[in-house]
Amino acid sequence: MASSLATRIAEEHAAALTSLPEQVVARERRRSAIETLKAEGLPTARDENWKYANLRPLEKVRFTPGGRAPTLTVADLPDPIEGYARYTFVDGVFAPALSSPVIKSGISVASLRSSAIELGDHTVGSNRAPATTARDARFALLNDAFAVDGVDIRVAAGADCPTCIELVFVASVEAPAGSSYPRVELHVEKDARLGLIERYVSIGGTGANFINAAVKVDLARGATVTHYRIQECGAKAIWFDTLSAVVAQDATYKLHGVSVGGLSSRSTINVQLAGERADARVSVASVGDRQQIQDAFVLIEHAAPNTRSEQTFRGIAAGRARVAFNGKVVVRKGAQGTDSQQSLRGLLAGPEAEVDVRPQLEIYTDDVRCAHGATAGKLDDNMLFYLLSRGIDRATAQRLLKWAFLEDVVARIEVPELRRYIERSLAGQMQEADVLKELL
Amino acid sequence: MLNIEGLHVSVEGKQILNGLDLEVRPGEVHAIMGPNGSGKSTLAYALAGRPGYEITAGKVTFEGRDLLALAPEERAHEGLFLGFQYPVEIPGVNNVYLLKAAINAARKHRGQPEVDAFEFLTLVREKMKLMHMEESFLSRGVNEGFSGGEKKRNEILQMLMLEPRLAILDETDSGLDIDALKVVANGVNTLRSPERSVVLVTHYQRLLDYIVPDFVHVLVRGRIARSGDKTLALELERRGYDWIIEEAA
Repeated sequence: MASSLATRIAEEHAAALTSLPEQVVARERRRSAIETLKAEGLPTARDENWKYANLRPLEKVRFTPGGRAPTLTVADLPDPIEGYARYTFVDGVFAPALSSPVIKSGISVASLRSSAIELGDHTVGSNRAPATTARDARFALLNDAFAVDGVDIRVAAGADCPTCIELVFVASVEAPAGSSYPRVELHVEKDARLGLIERYVSIGGTGANFINAAVKVDLARGATVTHYRIQECGAKAIWFDTLSAVVAQDATYKLHGVSVGGLSSRSTINVQLAGERADARVSVASVGDRQQIQDAFVLIEHAAPNTRSEQTFRGIAAGRARVAFNGKVVVRKGAQGTDSQQSLRGLLAGPEAEVDVRPQLEIYTDDVRCAHGATAGKLDDNMLFYLLSRGIDRATAQRLLKWAFLEDVVARIEVPELRRYIERSLAGQMQEADVLKELL
Repeated sequence: MLNIEGLHVSVEGKQILNGLDLEVRPGEVHAIMGPNGSGKSTLAYALAGRPGYEITAGKVTFEGRDLLALAPEERAHEGLFLGFQYPVEIPGVNNVYLLKAAINAARKHRGQPEVDAFEFLTLVREKMKLMHMEESFLSRGVNEGFSGGEKKRNEILQMLMLEPRLAILDETDSGLDIDALKVVANGVNTLRSPERSVVLVTHYQRLLDYIVPDFVHVLVRGRIARSGDKTLALELERRGYDWIIEEAA
C-alpha cells in the first residue's frame, strides 16, 4: 500500500522523469524503482532495522533533484588530501571546475552523465544485491529514481593505486527546494589495489540539505580496496546512504566510516563476502551532539567458505543526541571456516543522550568462529579517577577519555594526513578542539 | 603536613575505617602495615578523594587546609599524590600526554606558564632512566599492556615528574621482583627531602629494607593498633599480625 510519502515521491518523479538523464539510470529502471517504493513504502520506525533512524524529516523534503547550483570556488572546499585526485560533485552533479583529475595508470573515472560507458545492470538494488537486504536498500531505489549524475570508477586488473581518488560530494540545495543524490559505482578488477576517499559536506545556505547517496562496490578476485567515508554535512542536513559491496575470492575490502555531521544521519551498509577467503573490515566512528541522530546499519554476509570479517564501532552520544549501530553478521550455509569478529562500543556522554549498540548473528553452518563484543555505557569511573588524581581537571579528563575511546577506530586510518584531518573533525564535533590540540 | 583525626570511612555502607589518627610531619616516611582487610587501601583512597569512599566522621588537614573539602584534582594540585595499587590502563591516552597534562595542571594552579616542551622531554628522559624504563613507554597508552612491574614503575615515574609534597603509595611493592623493587625504592628515595613526606601502604616488610621508614603503624579493623619505629616492621615479619590483632581485640 502506498504511503502518502511514497505517493508524493511518485508524483514528483512523474513530473521530473523526462528531465532525468537516461544515461545515468535508464528510464525503465527509474520507473521500476518508484513502483517498488510505492508498493513497499519507505522504511518506517516500525521496521526492525530502522527503529533508530529518524525518518520524520522526510515529510518536508522536496525529492526532485536540486535547483540551481551555487557558484563555488575551490577555496570553499575542504583541503584536499595529498596524492589523491579530486573529483567534486555539487548536489550530485560533477563539477569539473572544482575537480583536479589526475591520470593514474589503470584507473578510469567518468561522470555517469557525460560518459559513454555502458553501465549494464550493476546498480544498487539490482538482482546482484543480496535479497536479504532489498528492503533495507529502499533509499538506494530513491537514488535510482532521481539521480542526475554520479561517478563510475573502474580499476583495471593488476592496477596499483593505493593513494588514488578523492570524491567530494557537496550539498548546497536546501531540502524544501530540492535534493542531492550522490552516486558511486566502483568496479575493481582482479588483483588491483585502490585507495578511495569519499567525503560529504554542506556548503552555502543553511546546510539544511537532503542527501541520499547510493554506492555500489564490486571487488574482483584478489582486489584490495581501502575506502574512507567521511560525513561532515551541515548541522541541519539529513543524510541517507546505502552502500552495497560484493567481495570476490581473495579480495579485501576495508571500509572506514566517520560520521559527525548532519541533524539526522543514516548509513545502510551491506557487504557480501561472495568468494572464498574474501575479507571485509568495517570500522565506523560516529559522534553525535545536540539533537543529532547518527544511525548505522552494517550487514556482513559470509556467503563463501573461509571468509573473514571484522566490524569495529565506536560511537559517542552527547547532549540529546542518539547514536546507534546495528551490526549484523550472517553466515550462509556452506560458508564453513568463517571467521567473524565484532567489537561494538557506545559511550554515553550526557544524561539526555542515547546510545544503542546492537550485535546480531545468524549462523547457518557449522565450523565458524565468531567473536562478538558489544557494550554501551558511560565513561569508566576508574579511568576518570586516575586522571583526576593526577591533577587533570574533570572536563579535560572526560574529553581525554572520550578521545581515547575513539582511538580504536581512528588508529586504523592508514593515511596519516587523513587521520589527522579526521582527528580534527572528531575533536571539532566534540567541541574540544582546544583542549585536544596537543594530541592533534 | 598531614593530620588525620578520628577518621571514619565507609564503603558501600560498610564501615572500614573506625577512628583513625595519624600525623605526618614534613620529611617523614610512615609505613602503614596491617592484615588484609584492615583498611590500608581505604585510607589511601579516602585521602585521594576517590568517589564511593564516604567520610562518616573525622577530620583531615593537609598543609593546614581541610583536605576532605577538596576535589581529587585539587588535592593533586595541593601536592598530594596517590600511587595506585592497581594502576588503570587507559588505551588511547599516551603516557607522555598524561605526564604533560598533569604537570601543566599543577603549573596552572601555581600560576606558572605551561612547561617548555624541550625541558619537559629532557626531564622525563632523565627520570625514565632512573626508573629503568625504555623510551617507547612514552608513546604507549597509559599502562596499556604493561606488566605489573612496569605499571608500578610508571606510577613512580609520574610521582617523580609531579614532585608531590606528600606521596601515598598503595602497595607499590606488590607484584615486584627484587630487581624491580630496588628500582622502585630507589625512585622513592630520590624524592625524599626535608619538605616531602611519604606514606607507604604495604603488606610486607620487604619494601622497608629499601625505603627505611621513620614510623611504622599497624592498622587493625580500621584503626591504628600499634605504632613504632622500623623495628616494629621486623617484629611483624617474625611474629606475623595475630598477636597485634589479639591485643587490639
